Amino acid sequence: MKKGVLDILKGKFLVSGDAPKNWLFLFFASFLATLMISSSHRADQKVIEIAALTEEVRALRSEFVAKRQELQQIRLESTLRQQVVDNGLKPAAMPPQKIRVKTEE
Amino acid sequence: MPISDKNIMNRLYLVAGVLVVFAIAVVVKLVDIQMVKGSKYKAKAVQKTEKMFTIEPSRGNIYADDGSLLAASVAKYEIRFDANTVKPKVWEEHLGPLCDSLGKLFHKPSSHYRQVLRKARANKNGYKLIARNVSYLEYARMRTFPMFRLGPNKGGFIEHHKVVREYPMGKMAARSIGYERVDDKGYYTRVGLDGAFGKTFLRGQEGKRLKQKSAGSRWKPVGFDNIIEPKDGQDIVTTINTNIQDIAHHALLGQLEKYKADHGCVVVMETETGEIKAISNLGRTEEGKYYEKLNYAVGESHEPGSTFKLMSLVAALEDKVVDTSTVVDTEKGRWRIYDRTVKDSKWGGYGEVSVAEAFALSSNTAFAKIIHENYKERPERFVDRLMNMGLHEDLQLPIVGEGQPVIRYPGDEGWSGISLAWMSHGYEVAMTPIQTLAFYNAVANDGIMVRPRFLKEARIGGKAIRRFNKEVLNSSICSQETVKKAQKLLKDVVEKDFGTGNGLYSSSFSMAGKTGTCQKNYVAQDPDKLAYISSFVGYFPADQPKYSCIVVIHEPDKSVGYYGADVSGPVFKSLAQKIYSNSPVVDEVAPGNTIQNKLEENYNSYYAEARKAHQNIPNVKGMSGMDAISILENMGIQVEVRGNGKVKSQSVEVGKKLENIKKVVLELS
Repeated sequence: MKKGVLDILKGKFLVSGDAPKNWLFLFFASFLATLMISSSHRADQKVIEIAALTEEVRALRSEFVAKRQELQQIRLESTLRQQVVDNGLKPAAMPPQKIRVKTEE
Repeated sequence: MPISDKNIMNRLYLVAGVLVVFAIAVVVKLVDIQMVKGSKYKAKAVQKTEKMFTIEPSRGNIYADDGSLLAASVAKYEIRFDANTVKPKVWEEHLGPLCDSLGKLFHKPSSHYRQVLRKARANKNGYKLIARNVSYLEYARMRTFPMFRLGPNKGGFIEHHKVVREYPMGKMAARSIGYERVDDKGYYTRVGLDGAFGKTFLRGQEGKRLKQKSAGSRWKPVGFDNIIEPKDGQDIVTTINTNIQDIAHHALLGQLEKYKADHGCVVVMETETGEIKAISNLGRTEEGKYYEKLNYAVGESHEPGSTFKLMSLVAALEDKVVDTSTVVDTEKGRWRIYDRTVKDSKWGGYGEVSVAEAFALSSNTAFAKIIHENYKERPERFVDRLMNMGLHEDLQLPIVGEGQPVIRYPGDEGWSGISLAWMSHGYEVAMTPIQTLAFYNAVANDGIMVRPRFLKEARIGGKAIRRFNKEVLNSSICSQETVKKAQKLLKDVVEKDFGTGNGLYSSSFSMAGKTGTCQKNYVAQDPDKLAYISSFVGYFPADQPKYSCIVVIHEPDKSVGYYGADVSGPVFKSLAQKIYSNSPVVDEVAPGNTIQNKLEENYNSYYAEARKAHQNIPNVKGMSGMDAISILENMGIQVEVRGNGKVKSQSVEVGKKLENIKKVVLELS
């Protein structure tokens, strides 16, 4: 038992005859550890990204509605009518006439 | 005490004993913590590091039929300021410009903000309110202001937002677009379409997600099993047309203001499909302003007055108790039945008139007589006929709070010997404006009664997932013969000189409809309290109806006027006029087959002349005036024309250099 502990402390498993097998396992273990750490970081990154995107969606949505509202308001006939009344324009009382020429197929 | 082995051992035992007792105590406590209170502590530990988050779905939008937004959920911002975090140098440098910008944005003097911010800094206020209910665009602007643009830590800019429902059309149709609110107890207040379709389409489903505390105060999601994705609400596309709604709203508002009326409503419905194109409800505030107070069109069941004469007449024609040519004596405008008198609005009555004339004149006495005399033996026959047409049932509209119609049956409470006579011209019965409209629409639609409808489709992400089609309530309210007669009579009301709606007549477009002037609060028999309900209901164009429309205005100022044709009619007419003038008239013509050689030749010579890069004055003699003007003006010369026809002479000779010539006078003949 005492010898075993001493061997480990001396790092015998890294240099003894069947060391390559141990090395392989060590690499594998450290690879797994790296993977775990990086994926955890990536998850954190994603959370930040999602928060930013959510914020962007909210901003775009609000901007869309605000601009749309502005457009809808100025597009209304009642608004237009007020704006052009100084130019002497008013809505037509008669419908527009379309003349469609029939063409032979 | 001598030191002996025994003594030492005793002490040792004592110490060992104490240690054992201590060890037991530790084990007991361990068991207590792990086993007895274990679950409680574990939960507490989890609570500190894990939390179930609710993810609110975004509520669906409401669109008009042309894709305009009627309601949408957006973020509104609250802006606060941390006066402690800003460094003195930044403070000195940016305070002035920041206050200028704020003042400009919120239309307040810059000094106001200077005072507010200085005070906040002096009081070490870390959470000073700057503005509430800030829209995104304003918020985005504020973020670029001096000092604020440095962010929360250096610039002290703090924002909070909450999602609110925004109505891009403003107050227009507000009551019909509606809203949905839920209180702490989970009780929903549901108004208009937003309320009616909240559960089915708009709300969506909440999502859930378990999150773990990660670095700082950020939470990150854990596991896959604890995720319920939120489902956003579906959008709904309504049948409302913003243009027609705009016209209806302003026309109604204008009349309400003119007549200082208490409230009023207007509904426009597409005849064939039952689609509601516009619905406006305006009520008066104490200051005399109007706003969308209640949904009168859907919710207010009232005595319709003369507009109900159409229902009475359709019943009578259907039962063949009278025909349109049957002559009735209007009894000098006063007809006594038991202890009551039916009166015509015209003093002295109309003499002997046909049923058709009585309808156009809206004679109360004639209608009371027609219905009372012909049905008094079997009043249930008349009521059955009304019920067959579905007048006693509501329309099962999706909007919460539809008013119930009242059609009494003989023997019911309130039925009396005069009931028939009073029902004939719209008293002792009650209907909502939209129910009345549905009946008139059925007449316009050749007897097919369709349900008034507000929804076109439900959408997810712009894709329709459910479409709503027209719903036929009654495929034939009466025979085709009766429908045709009724249509003719409604047309006469406007077109005949003596019709009550003749004041609305226009030679360029046709309308059909019925006026109604109904008394209200008459039970008190107090002339001061007596008020009127003025209405007009009908459709246009008269021959191939496209839209039907009802206008009801309650309690107009009697001194200004109260007749249906005067108060409500103009709203109806302006809608009819607008829809008429917005629909292009298409004329189809066959192309002329002969190629006009002369014309072709003229054009070619003009075209050749027009294409040339002229240095000198060309010869325009013999050309048509129009061609000559266009050629010369294109060269930058001012042209004066005398007479008309072809060019006889030109004031500048042919071949003169262009440079010095400013004006040419052409004589035409």
